[in-house]
Amino acid sequence: MSALSQLNIIQVNSLSKVVSTFEGELTILSDISFNVKHGESVAVVGTSGSGKSTLLSLLAGLDTASRGEIVLDGEPLHTLDEEARAALRAAKVGFVFQSFMLVQSLTALENVMLPAELAGKGDAKEQAFALLEKVGLSHRVDHYPSQLSGGEQQRVAIARAFVGSPKILFADEPSANLDSKNGHMIESLLFDLNKQNGTTLILVTHDEALAQKCERIIQIEAGELVQNSTEEMANVG
Amino acid sequence: MWAKLALKLFSREFRRGELTVISAAIALAVLTVLTLSMVTERIAQSIAQKSSAFIAADRVLASNHAIDTAFITQAEQQNLKTAQMLYFDTMLFANDEMQFSSVKAASNSYPLKGELKVKSALDAQTEVAPGAPSPGNVWLSESVFYSLNINVGDQVELGAALFNVEKVIVEEPDAPFNVFSSSRRVLINIDDLAKTEVIQPGSRVFYRQLYAGDEADINSFYDWLKPQLKENQNWYGVKDRQSPISNSLNRAESFLLLAGLLGIILAAVAIAVSAKRYCERQYDPVAMMKTLGGSRDMIRKIYLTHLLMVCAMSVIVGLAIGYGLQEIATSYLAKSMGTELPMAGFKPWLVAISTGVICAVMFSIKPLLDLFDIPPLRVLRRNLGDRLAVSKIHIGLSALTVFLLMWLFSNNIKITLILFASTLALILVLFLISKLIFGGGRKLGLKPGNSWSLAIASIQKRANVNAVQLISFSLAIKLLLFLIVLKNDIISDWQSQLPSDAPNAFLVNITENELEPVNEYLAQKGIQVSEFYPTIRGRVNAVNGEAVAREVSLQDNEKKDEEARSGIGRELNLTWLEEVPAQNDIIDGKWFADDAVAEASLEESMLERLDVKLGDTLTFLIGAQSFDAKITSVRKVNWATLKPNFFIILSPDVLSDFPATYISSVRIEPEQKRDFSQLLRTYPTLTAIDVDNFVKQIQSTIEQVSLAIGFVLAIVVLCGALVLISQVQASLGERMQEIVILRTLGAKGRLIKNATLYEFLLLGGLAGLVAAFFSDIALLIVQQQMFDLAGKLHPNIWFIGPVAGGLFVAGLGYFMIARTLKQNTQGLVRALA
Repeated sequence: MSALSQLNIIQVNSLSKVVSTFEGELTILSDISFNVKHGESVAVVGTSGSGKSTLLSLLAGLDTASRGEIVLDGEPLHTLDEEARAALRAAKVGFVFQSFMLVQSLTALENVMLPAELAGKGDAKEQAFALLEKVGLSHRVDHYPSQLSGGEQQRVAIARAFVGSPKILFADEPSANLDSKNGHMIESLLFDLNKQNGTTLILVTHDEALAQKCERIIQIEAGELVQNSTEEMANVG
Repeated sequence: MWAKLALKLFSREFRRGELTVISAAIALAVLTVLTLSMVTERIAQSIAQKSSAFIAADRVLASNHAIDTAFITQAEQQNLKTAQMLYFDTMLFANDEMQFSSVKAASNSYPLKGELKVKSALDAQTEVAPGAPSPGNVWLSESVFYSLNINVGDQVELGAALFNVEKVIVEEPDAPFNVFSSSRRVLINIDDLAKTEVIQPGSRVFYRQLYAGDEADINSFYDWLKPQLKENQNWYGVKDRQSPISNSLNRAESFLLLAGLLGIILAAVAIAVSAKRYCERQYDPVAMMKTLGGSRDMIRKIYLTHLLMVCAMSVIVGLAIGYGLQEIATSYLAKSMGTELPMAGFKPWLVAISTGVICAVMFSIKPLLDLFDIPPLRVLRRNLGDRLAVSKIHIGLSALTVFLLMWLFSNNIKITLILFASTLALILVLFLISKLIFGGGRKLGLKPGNSWSLAIASIQKRANVNAVQLISFSLAIKLLLFLIVLKNDIISDWQSQLPSDAPNAFLVNITENELEPVNEYLAQKGIQVSEFYPTIRGRVNAVNGEAVAREVSLQDNEKKDEEARSGIGRELNLTWLEEVPAQNDIIDGKWFADDAVAEASLEESMLERLDVKLGDTLTFLIGAQSFDAKITSVRKVNWATLKPNFFIILSPDVLSDFPATYISSVRIEPEQKRDFSQLLRTYPTLTAIDVDNFVKQIQSTIEQVSLAIGFVLAIVVLCGALVLISQVQASLGERMQEIVILRTLGAKGRLIKNATLYEFLLLGGLAGLVAAFFSDIALLIVQQQMFDLAGKLHPNIWFIGPVAGGLFVAGLGYFMIARTLKQNTQGLVRALA
């Protein structure tokens, strides 16, 4: 592993994403490069349709780039197939989504345990229970998502995101579907747990105030990187 | 680890009701197949057993000459039960009275199938006789008692022997099908035959050997027997006989088969819809699991485990309920049939289990493969993968599966192909119609704010979904209408052939001189009589001038293989007529013109049996005289009517000079029996053949088969309801979303409820109308092609279809979403999340 890799958990180099449409080829992301350090919190901002969610999907290995490279904790994502990328996510990545994405047929506790079970790890019940306690839901462990409020569902999703002690956490508009009170609670939880676990946070948001809470802001507009508050880091080395 | 997760997810999904419809659909397919197969097999076996009673055996070897008794010895060695009989006509004397009678001399084991019912006196209770009369005794049919003016205990003279009159014959199992083969019955023991000295060289005697046993043993015996059969010996089973009962049974079998197939199509549609819906609802969890690091292999294992468990559970439940249902049904049927139904074999179980497994696997495999392919990116782009929902491969696989199931169930590629192709054509036409209706509707200007406008807007908005729903609803309603109408038509056709005033006796041997006085007497006594037909017995002994030997066997499927000319040489009843008889249709050629010379009209099966065609010349032999006649027309005869029918009718010019006797059928009411007996006494050469018992047997069989058909229909209705439920369920998510939006926008609960109700009402009404149109066309074809019924249109279903369709779909649809409509907006939002 190079010195740069040791310093940066994410390295993005000349990343582009082009999709085919009926009208022809459409460039979603164009020639984007930046790095993210271990433990850093980065907000990806931009207007609707700017390409910020596409960037998140590429960084998390949910989608593949048309051109360019992404190195995630020393692993070159662009060289991995879907199964290897899934294994990498299971080992190193946590997610929080706007629409919670809980499995409706599993209880809060079982939802939190799910990533560990998918990774074939032993009993994660204790850790899951501890995390639910941290997010203030120890009394709701046996409840199903449909029995929880939106704020509670998102707290379960946050607990789930941290269950495997991931190195990187990707969050996509985590408070967008919630009222301001619940939204603030979720944001605080996210940042607190992130700090406690030393996790790197990549947060996609259109909320200026939330973005300001991150150490760095990356702004995407029309698929291009227009602001990187620590841009010089990308050129180190 | 994956197994634990799979089981956990399965139990939760099952408890949440996500798998209820797919399980119910598979279980219903299994129970439909098991119930139908078992009920039809048990009824078929019972009917076959009962039918065997119509010939008093499973197979009969018939001849006009004595049959080698070595056949009997061999059959008994091959585990078959045997009996021997012979018939002949002779005079019976008592108290200076005489009666021309038909004597049946039977061995002790007669009858092998069915029951011989007798009375110990004319006014005694009916009882079942254990076998033929013991030597020295004679049993007589009731009318003989009146003709000879005798009672039980009197003596009668038959040839050179005296017999003690012991019993009154009430019902013979092998009552005559052929009006010429029997007359007033006299039953004696075969051991008494010699002492009567009636059988002399040249006597006209019909010999019969009866055989009964396992089908395999019978076939094995026939393999041994076949090479030894002579030209004048005829081997047949009940199915080989042209009779009203065999026609009715064939129709009933066809109907049950058809109903079963339609039930399977409906269950298959329900399974395909619900399996697809279940997989679609798993897109998000699968995308989530993949995002969280779940491998494709693990997801595959989880969902294949689900499939296996759904399949196993549903098949077990289907088998259990199916078995219970058929037990209830068969015990009810057995009670009404007054007989025990034999147990079914293992085949229905095998077919039902195969159906369940094939349904579960084939209808789920493509949606499951799509599910495995759901990209993890769906967690961010929520509509990703939705395009997979419309899959030509899934439709193709489902269609192939339906075809295979129909084939498996019917074991008849022709029926399967006809039904499958017509259903495909129907779906295609329905799809085009629905596109037209829903596409055209969009142009309508609609006022917002009332329930009808909302309902129509809702129908237009979901044009594609509604097109699929319309197809499913129409298909279900069409199949239901089709079966209900067909059932009624078949039953009313049977009933019209055997009305309560159907003839119950044939009057034969009426001479030319007796014709007028007999007719007058019958009219005077108010006895209904049909037309009088002249008859002459004669043979066909050459075709196109070439004498042809005839084959001897009528065993199933052998006629064509051996190109048998089984009518050649045999004595036939010939008639001549100027007009086509009422129950006959000319299907080829032309009926005799007024100036026709030496022409013949043949019944269609006779054409095959003689292996002749239109234009061929037949040489007839009557007594010592022979003449030629050219075949100029072919007739289809309705054998189900109990009226005299003829295989060969000749033009009047060739036969009118021959001395003929006449035949007719009469309806004798109980109070007219004595008057009728008086007629027979007045004209001793006249013979009456009582077919009352036979008519009663047919009517009771029709009643039983009608019950079975009604039961099968009820199951098919259940399948149809499940299709509707699965379709409504499939659109439930989208409906909930709409309700949330409308509620949020302040729409009143009543408006939404009415809009939903009207939407289903419109969809159901439209589906009913389309269904009525197509079922009437299908009925027209199937009635003619499969059931030999006169095709006719049914204007009543044009009204019943849309009204019943609208009410059924609206009622069911509304019931399905009533819970959703009752929920408050917050609850709905949460349920949607």
